[in-house]
Amino acid sequence: MKEYILHLIGEMAKFILDSNPTRMVISLHREEDGLHLAILDNVPRSEEELEKIRLALNAPKRPELAEYYGIMAGQDLMGNSRLNLVGWQVKHADVSRTQEGMKIDLWLGGERFDSSYFSIPKK
Amino acid sequence: MAKNELFLYALMGGIVLLLILAGFIEQGFEATLKGLVALQARPARLIHDFTALEGVGATLVNSGLVSALSLILVRLTKVRLAGPTIAAFLTIMGFSLFGKTLLNVVPIIFGVYLSAKVAGKPFAAYLLIALFGTAMGPIVTYLVFQSGLNGIYAVLVGILGGTVTGFFLPSIAISMLHLHQGYNLYNIGFSCGFFGLFAASILAAAKMKIDIQVIWNRDPSLTLTALIPIISIVCMVSGILLGKKKAFTDFLAIQKIPGRLPSDFVDQVSAEGTLVNMGLLGLLGSAYVFIVQGDFNGPVVGGLFTLMGFGAFGKHVKNCWPVVMGVVLSCFVFGKSLAAPGPILAALFGTTLAPLAGQFGVLVGVAAGFVHLVVVERTAAWHGGLDLYNNGFSGGLTATLFVAILEWLKTTKEKREGP
Repeated sequence: MKEYILHLIGEMAKFILDSNPTRMVISLHREEDGLHLAILDNVPRSEEELEKIRLALNAPKRPELAEYYGIMAGQDLMGNSRLNLVGWQVKHADVSRTQEGMKIDLWLGGERFDSSYFSIPKK
Repeated sequence: MAKNELFLYALMGGIVLLLILAGFIEQGFEATLKGLVALQARPARLIHDFTALEGVGATLVNSGLVSALSLILVRLTKVRLAGPTIAAFLTIMGFSLFGKTLLNVVPIIFGVYLSAKVAGKPFAAYLLIALFGTAMGPIVTYLVFQSGLNGIYAVLVGILGGTVTGFFLPSIAISMLHLHQGYNLYNIGFSCGFFGLFAASILAAAKMKIDIQVIWNRDPSLTLTALIPIISIVCMVSGILLGKKKAFTDFLAIQKIPGRLPSDFVDQVSAEGTLVNMGLLGLLGSAYVFIVQGDFNGPVVGGLFTLMGFGAFGKHVKNCWPVVMGVVLSCFVFGKSLAAPGPILAALFGTTLAPLAGQFGVLVGVAAGFVHLVVVERTAAWHGGLDLYNNGFSGGLTATLFVAILEWLKTTKEKREGP
């Protein structure tokens, strides 16, 4: 699990750093049946940009790609960051605007994921 | 199932039927069946052009049947028929013209299935590894028919060898991605070549003959020559009918994607634009073979099928041409014929390095193609032709070299400039 988390944190950090923020906060919280990863930055983004991030992180599940290529998340130093590698592997993602920039919430869980065990906000 | 996916199933199924039908018409029913049975008993290591061994008809039917098996597996595992699965399907179709048979792919697929079970994952998670992993099929037919073992003992050893190979492939394939970071599209070819080094060494140590033999059809039929242009035009027309003007704009959008693994063009852009891209790659590839006066035989048509297939999963005109130019330049510098087996296959399959051109530009792409040709002509002997994706093996080595240098340059520059 430790390696898996490091991969995801690495890819998310790369994505945020690509936008040259002056502040980035990554916090990890253990939940009843998994983890909640929160990432904050202070880069102003348009609604269109936020929607793109939302779509990438909530990409339809692709087990054939996640298990095989997902390992590349957070590994490479070159090329653009790729949020879909993260999106295929997380159970749920929320993207919201903050006063300064953006907050991304990711929920990670095992094969028998049950959203009721997580602090995912009800819509 | 979405409408577009249903259409893709119909199109791919149609190509399978076209191959089988063309095969029987080309060679006649009885001769085709006899040839098909005889093909299953061929060792099938690189480069065994099936069209020269058992005729074009039997080869086309073999290709149709093996690729149909792959399409059925995609459906059964409920994996989407999109970029990666189209690439796997057309690659299998191509390599069944010179190496893959119904007999030698099944133990590999079964081995990967066992691996998934042991890892506690659904087979769908390893499906791509199973499909592309059939590149190691020749290890099965080599052990059964060429190793010097006899009878049921040879069959059992062959099946066991294939199953063990398939079992280890997922762990190797996932690990090899780290080396080239997705800049070699045929990652399984790289992994199979790596595994093949050990397999060939063990076989050589056991005093088994594993030298390379090239069987190359120099007089291919009109059916084989016309096959790829016809399928390419069908793909392009399908894309245009499906998307109309959108097919062109989506095709242009695809040209802007670097193509690094995993770039599913169907998912990232659209099925319509992807079909146009695949068709154009097929036509341009055929034009190249025609211009250099190459033979449209099993391996070359296999290369064209693979080029088209990866037109849905990482390759497009803009990132492929620099690599092809690099191979051509290498041929001129080292005095090699563009139509000879090694160079013509390197030009087609060498586009495995297209993401390097897509990400780092034309010069890097040309340099990668240049290096690839000289490396690929040596690597087949290393694994004794057991890995059908020899260009994937060489491409992996080349991409690893380039990524190492480029990464060092980038990090050194960043450190010098400071945060």
